[in-house]
Amino acid sequence: MPDIIFENEIVRAENLKKTFTLSRKQQKIDRTSLKRKVAVDGLSFSAYRGEIYGLLGPNGAGKTTTLRMLSTLISPDEGDAFVLGHSIRHEAAKVRDCIGFMTGELKLEGFFTPDYLFDFFGAMHGVAKEALAKRKRELFAKFGIDRFSGVRVADLSTGMAQKTSLVISIVHDPDVLILDEPTNGLDVLTAKVVTDFLSDLKGMGKSILLSTHIFSLVEKLCDRVGIIIDGKMAAEGDLSSLCAGSSLEEKFFEIYRGIKGEAL
Amino acid sequence: MKLSALVKKEFHRFFHDPRLIITILLPGIIIYLLYSLIGSFIGGAETYQYQVYLSGQSLAVQSMQAAIEESGSKIEWLTPETPKEAVEKVKAGEASAYLVFPENFDAAVLGPSDPAHLPVVEFYYSTADDGAGEAFYAIASAVLQAYGARFTISAHNFMGEGDVGRLVMQNLLPMLVVTFIFSACMSVTLESVAGEKERGTLTTILATSVKRPYIALGKILPLSCIAALGATSSFLGVMLSLPKLMGLNLGLLLESYGFSSYLLIFLLIISLVPFIVSFISLVSTFSKSVKEASAYTSVVMIAMIVLSLVSAFVTDLGIWVAFVPILNVVSAMQQLLIGGMPVLLSLLSLGMNLIYTALLVAVVSWMLSDERIMFGK
Repeated sequence: MPDIIFENEIVRAENLKKTFTLSRKQQKIDRTSLKRKVAVDGLSFSAYRGEIYGLLGPNGAGKTTTLRMLSTLISPDEGDAFVLGHSIRHEAAKVRDCIGFMTGELKLEGFFTPDYLFDFFGAMHGVAKEALAKRKRELFAKFGIDRFSGVRVADLSTGMAQKTSLVISIVHDPDVLILDEPTNGLDVLTAKVVTDFLSDLKGMGKSILLSTHIFSLVEKLCDRVGIIIDGKMAAEGDLSSLCAGSSLEEKFFEIYRGIKGEAL
Repeated sequence: MKLSALVKKEFHRFFHDPRLIITILLPGIIIYLLYSLIGSFIGGAETYQYQVYLSGQSLAVQSMQAAIEESGSKIEWLTPETPKEAVEKVKAGEASAYLVFPENFDAAVLGPSDPAHLPVVEFYYSTADDGAGEAFYAIASAVLQAYGARFTISAHNFMGEGDVGRLVMQNLLPMLVVTFIFSACMSVTLESVAGEKERGTLTTILATSVKRPYIALGKILPLSCIAALGATSSFLGVMLSLPKLMGLNLGLLLESYGFSSYLLIFLLIISLVPFIVSFISLVSTFSKSVKEASAYTSVVMIAMIVLSLVSAFVTDLGIWVAFVPILNVVSAMQQLLIGGMPVLLSLLSLGMNLIYTALLVAVVSWMLSDERIMFGK
């Protein structure tokens, strides 16, 4: 096996492939008779330290599957990926220790308070009690959660609950944050809370990998973008060189039509 | 630390939610009130007017009289003209019991004894009608037990038609207990495991580096404790309502079983709780929603009730029953409740339940790692 040199690479995906077996119900929804669907088809890309990397694509393009593979929740059929040099195939626990993972929808139990959940997930990541208490004070104060730390998540506003969710995803001070559709389904105010939060995290030196289908989010936040269509990397690069004067939306549809050959 | 945090979270979730506490304790209270109400409609006296034929003499008779009067009942000692007459009267339900002490019983019991020739106390009674015969037998046995094991009791029970309901109750009690345990396990496990999976909060935990067996144990251990609490509530509800339901004296009922019987019944119940919680956790982990898990678990519960009924009406199933979960506990409990001491069956059942629980925990851990089960659509 050749030596892998990562240097500033925080994530390196190499020829990732993932295929799912479709149930009859899914076959009906997808209007296909095929029993298997290739969700991710030989995807390779790299994300670098300190940047926000966006995976842009339509629904069903393979974004969520890719992020789930990188988070070690599911395994690739082929290929491998390395997060801070740790293989997602062979060092899943190490990968989980150095990433923060969050899906767009709030996935915290509404019964508990931010205070309790922060401590709980701190314990899940093996953070020492003293360090955890210090980190909680800092993060809660920085993001304005301290005043609501004793309120149940179910009783928080959507924005505060989303902030709580984001803060808890970085409880263990991970170097890499993986976010699946972080603003999906949120109202404009809450979406702004999230984008501001991500900008702050970038300012704190965190590396962020996010998936989205919202052009404005990529334009506002991302340093580099990878466009995924049908599980394949259709285009990749920093925004200015990729768009070359046109908007991201125009560029995306130009690429999309080039691949799918469909009139929109 | 991680396991401890997972366990504490489940306890915190339960003990800080009054609704959940009520949900788990309410069945026991309802059972007690309902059964007591049924008992009051059926009727059933706790005090009796005993008429007991007596042949031979013993100091134990005075102790029996004292115990009976202390319980608020009255006793009339009768002398039979012939033993046959006394037996016929008991059979006909015209007398509560017929007690026969051998000659020089007290001397034989209190003096040096020959284990090969222990004196025999003959006891004729009927559990028919008002239950006085059975109640007297329980008191007399308890008094005689104070004399030690230097004699044997030869009991002859003439059962009447009225006993059928009573016997059915005795046979059904283990099934009822198992059903309550299952209900308690269902109420806490479905929501905690299938609910977390459905809401996606389990994914948040899976995205951390905590080991899957810890997640499985972090659910099963606390949920077993909580379910045991619910099962205890239901069990107490049944036990405390039995006197009113069946017209029995609870004190006598409890005295009629030894400490070892209670210990075994307790251990059998305790061994069943983590097994059922693990099983429902497995079903819940497999299911995509609480609704789906409830549907599967309801089918399992019906199968379990049928399995328990088999044991209630079929005796002498053999030692193989120890290898069949649930049926093993029902069978062992049934034997214990009728006064037996199935030590081998009980110990084997405890061991097998422990092994099955460990296997189920391992399967749940594996399922938590399986992406098709956890993230399949």
